[in-house]
Amino acid sequence: MITNKVKICGMKHPQNINSISLLNPDFIGVIFYPYSPRFIGISFPIEIFTTGKKVGVFVKNSIENILKKIQKYAIEFGQIHGDESIEFCEELYKNNVSIIKVIRVNEAFSVIQKYTNYSLYILFDTHCKEFGGSGRKFSWEKISEYAFDTKFLLSGGIGIKDVESIKNVFHTKFFGIDLNSKFEIEPGNKNRDELKRFYHKKKFMKFVDTKGFYGEFGGTFIPEMLWPNIKELENNYPKIIMEKKFQYTLQSLLKDFVGRPTPLFYCEELSKKYEAKIYLKREDLNHTGAHKINNTVGQALLAKKLGKKKIIAETGAGQHGVATATVCAILNMDCIVFMGDTDIQRQAINVDRMKMLGATIIPVKTGTLKDAVNEALRYWIDNPESYYLIGSVVGPHPYPHIVSFFQSIISEEIQQQLKEKEGCEYPDYLIASVGGGSNAAGAFYHFLDNLSVKLIAAEAAGLGLKTNKTASSTFHGSKGVLHGSLTLLMQDEYGQIIEPYSISAGLDYPGIGPMHSHLFYTNRAQFISITDDEAIQAGYELSFLQGIIPAIESAHSIAILPKLNLKNNEVVVLNLSGRGEKDMDSYINYMNLYHEHDR
Amino acid sequence: MNMIDKIFTHKKKYILSIYFTAGYPKLESTKKIIRILQKYCVDIIEVGIPYSDALADGTTIQNSSKKSLVNGMNLDKLFAQLQCIKKELYIPLIFMGYYNSFLSFGEKAFLIKCKQIGISGLIFPDIPTYIYQYNYQERFKKYGLYFIILVTTHTPIERIFSLSSITEGFLYLVSSTTTTGKNVFFDKKKDEFFTCLNSKIKLNIPKLIGFGISNKESFHWSCSYSDGAIIGSSFIKSIDEYDIEESIQRFLQLIEGNA
Repeated sequence: MITNKVKICGMKHPQNINSISLLNPDFIGVIFYPYSPRFIGISFPIEIFTTGKKVGVFVKNSIENILKKIQKYAIEFGQIHGDESIEFCEELYKNNVSIIKVIRVNEAFSVIQKYTNYSLYILFDTHCKEFGGSGRKFSWEKISEYAFDTKFLLSGGIGIKDVESIKNVFHTKFFGIDLNSKFEIEPGNKNRDELKRFYHKKKFMKFVDTKGFYGEFGGTFIPEMLWPNIKELENNYPKIIMEKKFQYTLQSLLKDFVGRPTPLFYCEELSKKYEAKIYLKREDLNHTGAHKINNTVGQALLAKKLGKKKIIAETGAGQHGVATATVCAILNMDCIVFMGDTDIQRQAINVDRMKMLGATIIPVKTGTLKDAVNEALRYWIDNPESYYLIGSVVGPHPYPHIVSFFQSIISEEIQQQLKEKEGCEYPDYLIASVGGGSNAAGAFYHFLDNLSVKLIAAEAAGLGLKTNKTASSTFHGSKGVLHGSLTLLMQDEYGQIIEPYSISAGLDYPGIGPMHSHLFYTNRAQFISITDDEAIQAGYELSFLQGIIPAIESAHSIAILPKLNLKNNEVVVLNLSGRGEKDMDSYINYMNLYHEHDR
Repeated sequence: MNMIDKIFTHKKKYILSIYFTAGYPKLESTKKIIRILQKYCVDIIEVGIPYSDALADGTTIQNSSKKSLVNGMNLDKLFAQLQCIKKELYIPLIFMGYYNSFLSFGEKAFLIKCKQIGISGLIFPDIPTYIYQYNYQERFKKYGLYFIILVTTHTPIERIFSLSSITEGFLYLVSSTTTTGKNVFFDKKKDEFFTCLNSKIKLNIPKLIGFGISNKESFHWSCSYSDGAIIGSSFIKSIDEYDIEESIQRFLQLIEGNA
């Protein structure tokens, strides 16, 4: 998970710099070369407000002059852009200037060596006759030959379209990118909206490689019959999702139809009990009662953009089915939901809701969620004109990426809300339950590369880890391919998938999404198993302590609290993914049994 | 020389390849069905490895897989059954299964077993070709096994061309983009596709058409565009558990008829 630094270069208007600074660029560059169209001029105010580090760009200037400018404007880096000699750089270095040396890519890499002793960073630029940015890209493949220790930045005509190829520059010394001419209204005047879109897209593409792998998990393991369907999606989703109009429609639906942002609620009683600051992210307050709708709104809009009229979906407990049927109703699309016949009996109310919303339910014989996914994928093979709206961060690439992205609004809001309430935009602990893992993916997303946040995933242990009635995919799982991706799943010695068990239908899935497998394998997230007993008791506890009846899925997260060694004042955010109405039968039955047993 | 190559080099008629699920209808039927198919001059036999979550299969093959798994079939038993009849076989056997069976058995152990029991080729429709090339191609070569690739009528021509250079033995042409065993309509559009395929790119590899081939007409239709056809679901449906040989003989007569 590499996060490249961003340097925005060639700014000359104070107001423009102020507004661009709000995007938090890592570096802001101003050009002190009078022949450049981006020259900052002589009457530039001394105080430049910027959130990023200030870089002064110098071409064929004298040492004395450079030092003067650096002092005057409190410049932190001197970018040496001409064909200055090595001695020149040495002299600057002795005067405590942090040097970024520009190297044009047609130069032999051997000439770089002598500069590396005095430069903090190397900046590779496209070769051209005029000095300064040429706005043309060079072949990034050549970078693989670079073998020195000094970190480097890439520059030269980088635009929004280049985000994917930047991701493919795998080099341990690759430090950042330099943006300039592709984001301008006119030379020196940067387009904030374009830059914003760039940041957005960069964030969007961050965690997954172009083949759909999170570390060694993920990928696209599908028969050729599905290839055209997946390819159509893969080729179009980044473009569509980044479109301004798409984002606008999505945001307004999330706000006015779904009811976002959902509150971040401080739980006084729980906090007292566990001696920490405990917050609940109230995804249960979304329309239809769970986080699932964040994803269905996004994907249904995506499907519409792809020209699809019919949506197919799988569902276990019925929450994703209801969320899909709901969105299809408002967007006027046909909706077919595949549901195991066992689940149809268990979740009668949700079946009725889906029907009332106009969806067609197709029962999958002797099946549960896993079989519903299989059947939906098969139906999609036979009906490629439809759109398969998958409900969790599972399935072939790009589904895990798409779903986690649409769910990432959860962590985006947590950041903002924590900043308001705690003055710090990240918690010490973030807890979410994992079946396939969509609510956890969304709650973790913006904290994945912030190692100060301890990510905790609550897995369903069912009747216990030592029994065969469990859905604990990390504890009982091994690497395998299910539903088109390589991930951790529960299987027998011959690779036949084992039916999982949990009292919570939403966690009743034999695997976890590939991103979670990666988080587990790299120890980025800790997976803790919670039994049916523990979850039900936690559900009751939250109900009478805080007045919130949680879905049993979310009750698994609550049950994590006593297992953590919380210290005073540690901030804990718990993603309350859904509300408990759908689970009333299970809660009551379970407690009745419990009391009978007691007698 | 791989036995699959021999079949195509010495072919005097259109190739008939039959697919059936190992361990169906009974655990011990595998050997019997193979012997009968060979006796009645089927050219290639595809042995399906039953899998709990097969994506490409329609209900007939899914149900046969379920039954087979209930019967207790697994890879160890299947390898043992095939070991027993290895010496009697003179036509190629191909395995068709899913990546997870291959992975969980251990890829190397799986390939060594295949070599031992005389398997000629493997079809794993859910292994992407770049994964095959990167991880397995060398080992397949080492054990003399062919990796057979599927393309469909919706696969772009350039991709068909590139996949045809990776597949070995033959190219598996899926008659349409459907799961197995669907009623395929052999309409004008399909005629156009296959005519175009034959005229536009000269593939240096034999082709077999599969999926939805269920009777004499569709078999002959397939043969007119390729080197032969693969029949699965309708064969499985025709098997009479109580008189396997008689039912198979009847089915093959229906297909090949007066061919």
